[in-house]
Amino acid sequence: MHDERREEDLTAYALDELDGEARTAVEAILAGSVDARREVDEVREAAARLREAFASVPHQALTPEQRAAVEEEAARGVRRSRRSRSVAAALVAGVAASLVALVVVVAPFERYAKPSVPAGFHVPVPLPSIASLPSARAVAPMSREQFEQLKALGYVGGTLGDVDEYSRMKSDELRDSSAPFNTETYDHIRDNAFVLVAQDPRSTFSVDVDTASYSIVRRFLRDGQLPPKDAVRVEELINYFPYDYEPPTGAVPFAVHMETAACPWSPDHRLVRIGLKGREVPRGERPPSNLVFLIDVSGSMDAPNKLPLVKAALRLLVEQLQAEDHVAIAVYAGAEGLALPSTPATDKAAILGAIESLSPGGSTHGSAGIRLAYETAAASYIKGGVNRVILATDGDFNVGITSPGELVRLIETEAKSGIFLTALGFGMGNLKDATLEKLADHGNGNYAYIDRLSEARKVFVEQIGGTLVTIAKDIKLQVEFNPARVKAFRLVGYENRVLAHQDFNDDTRDAGDIGAGHTVTALYEIVPPGVNVAVPGVDPLKYQPTAARRPGTASGEMLTLKLRYKQPDSDHSARLDVPVEDSGRSFEEASPDFRFAAAVAAFGMALRDSPYKGDVNLRTIQEWARNSLGQDEEGHRAELVTLIARAQQLSPNR
Amino acid sequence: MASSTSTRLEWIGTAIDQYQSRLIRFAARITGDVESARDVVQDTFLRLCREDVERVRDHLPAWLFRVCRNRALDVRKKEGPLQTLDDAGTPAREGLEADPHARLERGDDARRVLAAVAMLPAPQQEVLRLRFQEELSYKEISGVTGHSVGSVGFLIHDGIKKLRQRLGHDEPASRPEGERTDA
Repeated sequence: MHDERREEDLTAYALDELDGEARTAVEAILAGSVDARREVDEVREAAARLREAFASVPHQALTPEQRAAVEEEAARGVRRSRRSRSVAAALVAGVAASLVALVVVVAPFERYAKPSVPAGFHVPVPLPSIASLPSARAVAPMSREQFEQLKALGYVGGTLGDVDEYSRMKSDELRDSSAPFNTETYDHIRDNAFVLVAQDPRSTFSVDVDTASYSIVRRFLRDGQLPPKDAVRVEELINYFPYDYEPPTGAVPFAVHMETAACPWSPDHRLVRIGLKGREVPRGERPPSNLVFLIDVSGSMDAPNKLPLVKAALRLLVEQLQAEDHVAIAVYAGAEGLALPSTPATDKAAILGAIESLSPGGSTHGSAGIRLAYETAAASYIKGGVNRVILATDGDFNVGITSPGELVRLIETEAKSGIFLTALGFGMGNLKDATLEKLADHGNGNYAYIDRLSEARKVFVEQIGGTLVTIAKDIKLQVEFNPARVKAFRLVGYENRVLAHQDFNDDTRDAGDIGAGHTVTALYEIVPPGVNVAVPGVDPLKYQPTAARRPGTASGEMLTLKLRYKQPDSDHSARLDVPVEDSGRSFEEASPDFRFAAAVAAFGMALRDSPYKGDVNLRTIQEWARNSLGQDEEGHRAELVTLIARAQQLSPNR
Repeated sequence: MASSTSTRLEWIGTAIDQYQSRLIRFAARITGDVESARDVVQDTFLRLCREDVERVRDHLPAWLFRVCRNRALDVRKKEGPLQTLDDAGTPAREGLEADPHARLERGDDARRVLAAVAMLPAPQQEVLRLRFQEELSYKEISGVTGHSVGSVGFLIHDGIKKLRQRLGHDEPASRPEGERTDA
């Protein structure tokens, strides 16, 4: 019986691979054979040694981006039918001539984020950088339908849509959305320049908690493109990340944390960090919430990264609700309607059922839907609670608005009733970034761009307090610099948030809000006296007193931060003054939060190719980021490190 | 769809948590580097998203390793003949096994076992790893690799036997390899 076959059975038995008759047969042999029993023991011993040897390999994980891409796919829920390649191929062929520079054709399997793709792994179609395109105008015409169809099939990257989307960004007026596809240009963001303190010792701006620009930059880099410069808003990059600032302890709803150190990208300069931290509202202590979802179910939302992602995001939020919360769902498309009347959060089945039943169809009539949502919110208003309309849309309002200002005025009026707004942007290619930002600005609101489910998780799970509970509104900052300590200054980012000095004390002037636990970070680059700075086109003043003769300048203070804010239910602002002296620290001595914020700013400036980016390359910036990850429990900072690496691959010279 | 999206999402998330590390190191042995292995594993999970949960639920590990293996082999094919399964034990491949710390902390025995494993033919190494590193059953390994269950049984049995001989723990070290141990 000592044949190979029997030995194999003994091995299989030892490894617990046998059952039924085979097992019984081996057991019979074992009962009568010492050798066989020894053999089994030895196989088990060898197996144990093998397991031991194979163990203790380091843990490996997908990158956060890769994981998010998978989760996004999972969130789409429905198995997409594998449409015939030939249909797609015909479409590709049909438009290929007009898309040479822009469309990247990839196999369906390879359309996802690959932060570090080895050569030869993907179809090696060179990715043109946006910067190398002649201009957005040069894009040949292709119908939106054609493009969306290709995109849904995974045959094109985000390029065309992105050009379309960013071309609409930051426009001062709500644009006529019936304008032809891809005919608009970017609105230029010009980096804040150095200002001589002798010319103007003050700097005034509004806080900004929007984070959309970071999601947008990430999307570009994931798609293998450098983002267009004007899509990069440095302050939104910086404020995407939570910072470990101590929360306030007193009556003021937020704490102010100032820090100074050497400026890493310009070693002769100093960097001042202003950090605000909103009061935290612990889980379970959030006031009862009256939430009205206003969901755009128009035809343009019929894309995998729109309505299905909206639904997945809402389900995440529903999981976070507390027993006393109420939820209603209003929809709008051709006609507005109530999909779910105000329902207690305890009736989760009804809420989830209503979310599930949302389906796209019709054109958009945004203003009627917004009115309905505010009426619904007012009808179930909770005094002392959170009353908020959560708008989920691609912003493509195209029916029912007679003038661009009408929608904004409507929102402004409704906001006075104490109902706050959250605007959530979805989708590429059709998103009206400027519309949504404007709505949020005028509706006491916040604005996030949800490009994937993990972003929804950040907004609705990790930072739900900040998203729902506003702890202070209309927060304005004014910094006055001491000419004895500061020759010139430059606000890093916040280009679109700069206010006139006189607006600081004007309580009728709207400004940004802070949610519970939110952090807001702003950086000033400072040129100390005695260091040369080029401020073009400015002559010295003839009649102004020199610094040394002015009162107060002899103090060691570098600057004084003045801050105005309102309680969420008040129309009158309170004021706070915080003087700061320079710590004299080197960059390396600064806190991890400081160093990380500086790294993000430097990355943003590098992407913008800012004239103030200094003499550093992406590799150095990546080192700064890598060395200042801090706790980073959610992995957001680590993600930035991979994004910087991605940018390096795309532009080796920066 | 029978299962709701949130349940599905949760299920996928759990699958990632449970299998990503194992799949990445498995794929890395085929592709030769961890980065491309990560891409392979991302693709594997993307494929999983498009599967009917009911169809794969009961044999998830086998499904994952099979898809991952095929994908990794594709990648290796595209990347050219630089690495083949037969040159197992080259320094590059060894580096995948563990980081230097883990290697140092490992006992002499583990090192000797790994050295002995590295001398086996690649298909046999793969099967041994699937059994003793990934804890897949013979049947699952058969599903992953395409070998019959009988072949898997033979490869494992024979592999263990050779290792025992080489490691000289229980057999006379001088016994020539392949000789029957008829008692």
